[in-house]
Amino acid sequence: MPRPVWVLGAASNRFGKMAETGREAAARVSLEAIRRAGLEPKEIGYTFVSNAFGLAERQAHVGPLINTALGIPEVPSCTIESACSSSSAALHEAYVHVAGGFHDAALVVGVEKLSHLDTLTATSYFAIGADYPFESHNGATFPGLYATIANAHMHRYGTTSDQLGAVAVKNHANGALNPHAHFQKPISMETYRSSPVIASPLRLYDCCPFSDGAAALVVVAAEKYPNPVTEPVVIRASARAGSIADMHDRPELTGLPASQRAGAEAFRQARLVPAQVDFLEVHDCFTIAELVALEDLGFFPRGAAGPATAEGVTARDGKLPVNPSGGLKAKGHPVSATGASQVVEVFEQFNGLAGRRQVPKAEVALAHNVGATGSSASVHLFSRR
Amino acid sequence: MAERDPAAGEPSAAHTIREFTHGYEEERRLRGFRSASCGFVTATWGLVCPRCGRADLEEAALSGEGRVAAFTIQTVPSEEFVNDAPYAYVLVDLDEGGRVSGWMPAVRSDGDLAIGDRVRWVPSYKAGVQFEKA
Repeated sequence: MPRPVWVLGAASNRFGKMAETGREAAARVSLEAIRRAGLEPKEIGYTFVSNAFGLAERQAHVGPLINTALGIPEVPSCTIESACSSSSAALHEAYVHVAGGFHDAALVVGVEKLSHLDTLTATSYFAIGADYPFESHNGATFPGLYATIANAHMHRYGTTSDQLGAVAVKNHANGALNPHAHFQKPISMETYRSSPVIASPLRLYDCCPFSDGAAALVVVAAEKYPNPVTEPVVIRASARAGSIADMHDRPELTGLPASQRAGAEAFRQARLVPAQVDFLEVHDCFTIAELVALEDLGFFPRGAAGPATAEGVTARDGKLPVNPSGGLKAKGHPVSATGASQVVEVFEQFNGLAGRRQVPKAEVALAHNVGATGSSASVHLFSRR
Repeated sequence: MAERDPAAGEPSAAHTIREFTHGYEEERRLRGFRSASCGFVTATWGLVCPRCGRADLEEAALSGEGRVAAFTIQTVPSEEFVNDAPYAYVLVDLDEGGRVSGWMPAVRSDGDLAIGDRVRWVPSYKAGVQFEKA
C-alpha cells in the first residue's frame, strides 16, 4: 500500500507578465512553498520541475539552477514535460516517489515565460504541442483544434455560444477576486459577445491568455510530518491517462477519452463519487474545455454542462463551484505552472486563505489538467484530514 | 536484428512520416493505413493500430472523398499559414472509413460550410491536406 501523502505547502506568483526569468520566479515560489509548509529546503529529497517551453528562454535543464538557488545543489532534479499538464504530471511523479518511500519530501515547481514572444510565435509554439505534421501542418492551431470540439458539441448537443460565454463570465468573476490571477476584472456577457472570433465558434474571451507564471508544491509523507503547520491537502488519488494523440483518430470529438479514463481511475483510487466533491479546478484552456471536462468527469450528462453553467450551478456560490481561482481563462495559463497552480488554489481553499473567493464548503476537491487536446490528462482528488 | 515474428503482419515502419506528407504534396497520393483486425482506417503515421493494438496495419489508398465531421474558421493562424487566413480547418469523415485533418483555403466564413457537407481532397503542392467542396 502507498504511504499517505500530503501537499503541506503551496505558493504561486501573480500570473501575467513576469519581468524576471523563469528560473528566478521558480526559485522564489519554491522557497515560499517550502516556508509555508514549515520546512527547510534541505528537507527536500527530489525536485520535479516543469518548464515545457523553457527553450523559448534559451534555457534547458533548469532543475539544478533552481536547486542551487535554494541552497540544495546536491538534491536530484528532473524536468517533466506533458504539455499543458506538465506540472500535474510532475505532482504525480512526486506522489509516486513519496508514496513509494523513496523520499519523505519532494518539491514540485512549474514555470513558464512566454510573454517576450509575439502572438504569431507563441501560437506557433502551441501548435508544436499538437501532432505537427498531421494536425498543425494541415492548418490547425491550438484554438482551432478546440474550436472543432466546440463545433461538434454544439451540433450534437445544442450547446450555445452564450453557454460558452457563461463560462467566461463566471471565471472572470472568480479571477477578479484572486490576487494570483492574470485578469482581475469581471467581464459582461456583452463584452464576451462583442469580442473578436479567433477560431469559430471561439471568440477571444473563450480563450485563455498566454501568461507567464510559476507555482510550487511541497509534497510530503504524512507519517514524517506529524505536526503540520498548515491544513494538509491529503492526496486521495493521483491518476493520469493518455489517448490517441490526434483528435481526428479518436472515436469521439465531443469528449476527451484521457479525461474520462483518468477521472474514473481517480474516483476508484479515492473511493469517492462525484457527488462528494465540494469544488473543482478544471482545465478550461477554452470555455468549451470546461464544459467537456465536467461531462467527461461524470459531473453532468453529455450536453448538460452548458445549461447548468448558464443557470449558475458552477458559480462560486452555486451548488458545485468550478474554477473558483478563475481557471486558466482568467487566472491565466502559464503552461507548465497551471497544474501546480490548481493545487495552490485547493491548498488556499482548504486553509481558509482564499479571501473573498472562498467557497462555502472546502473539504473534498478535484483538480483536472489536460495536455494538448487531451492526449494526456491528470486527475487528482484531495480531501482534508 | 531479431527475426520478425511472421505472425505480426507487415511492418508499417516501411512508411515514413515524410512519405505521408510527400505523398499528398508531391506524389499526389493520400496515404493511409487500415488495420486488418479491426478495420480502423487512419491517415496518420504509426507502427501499430492505435485502436486495437495489433501490428497489422496495411497500406490503404484513400479516396479523399467524404463529409465534414467538424470545422472551424481559423482567423489567427500559425506561422505556416500566416498568408492564408481566414481559412477552414476541417475534420473529414472519409467514405471508406477513417477521419483526416485538412484545410480548405476557399472557405473563409462560417456560412460557407456545414457539418455533413461533402468535400473532396485536392492534390496540391501547398502545405498539408487540402479539401474543396464536392
